Amino acid sequence: MVDALEEARRVLVDRGVLVDARPDSRVTARVRKGSARGAIIGTIGSQRPTVTDDRMSDRAVADVLGRGLFRSRRRGRLWHAIPFEDRRELQDYLDDHLRFSRRVRWRVPRSRRGGPLFVERAVRFEVLERR
Amino acid sequence: MASAGRIVPGGLGYLRPPGTIELAAYGVDLRGKRVADIGAGEGRLALGAAAQAATVLAVDPDRSALARGRAEAKRLRLRNVTFREGAAQRLRIEDRSFEVVIFSWTL
Repeated sequence: MVDALEEARRVLVDRGVLVDARPDSRVTARVRKGSARGAIIGTIGSQRPTVTDDRMSDRAVADVLGRGLFRSRRRGRLWHAIPFEDRRELQDYLDDHLRFSRRVRWRVPRSRRGGPLFVERAVRFEVLERR
Repeated sequence: MASAGRIVPGGLGYLRPPGTIELAAYGVDLRGKRVADIGAGEGRLALGAAAQAATVLAVDPDRSALARGRAEAKRLRLRNVTFREGAAQRLRIEDRSFEVVIFSWTL
């Protein structure tokens, strides 16, 4: 990971920028009912290996910042909203997912989980400037 | 965080939003810039950047993804995007040749 960041720095001009964007496993995904603005009726965590990988990526970025190869210009978080027709389609999606936990932690009883669902997934980004 | 809470649309077809929308959220000015999208996959962001950037190089180890990206660039008649096989750890790119590098789901 550090070697990839060093390569990025090598190909950047002075004060060129590197955008690093990744899913944010520190934040659970939200399951909303009905629409992207609907009530949160559940959350989805990340698989343990994913959390470990993400921490390694974080350390790699901290390493190049600590060595003065880049400086951080901006950080932020986005939420990707992914629609699902119903709970079954969401479960099919989770069954094959490499990052998300397989199960939703529901906040409502089964009778209130019907209909369209939206999953909001956190994506963090940081804009780094070459030094 | 600068944009905490901002929601951008995804979709089951691509699971991530259109490249132009996501790039705008990052707040990086791509106009007239040389942009390298490393770990580009099929070029969702590279193709999104092409409308503003001078040139875009999309690098990925997955040949089939690159082929899909090339086909999409052709369909969109984008002539400033190049797709190249490669890995983020060892780029066959000259030193100091890009103003912007994108790592999206790369690290």
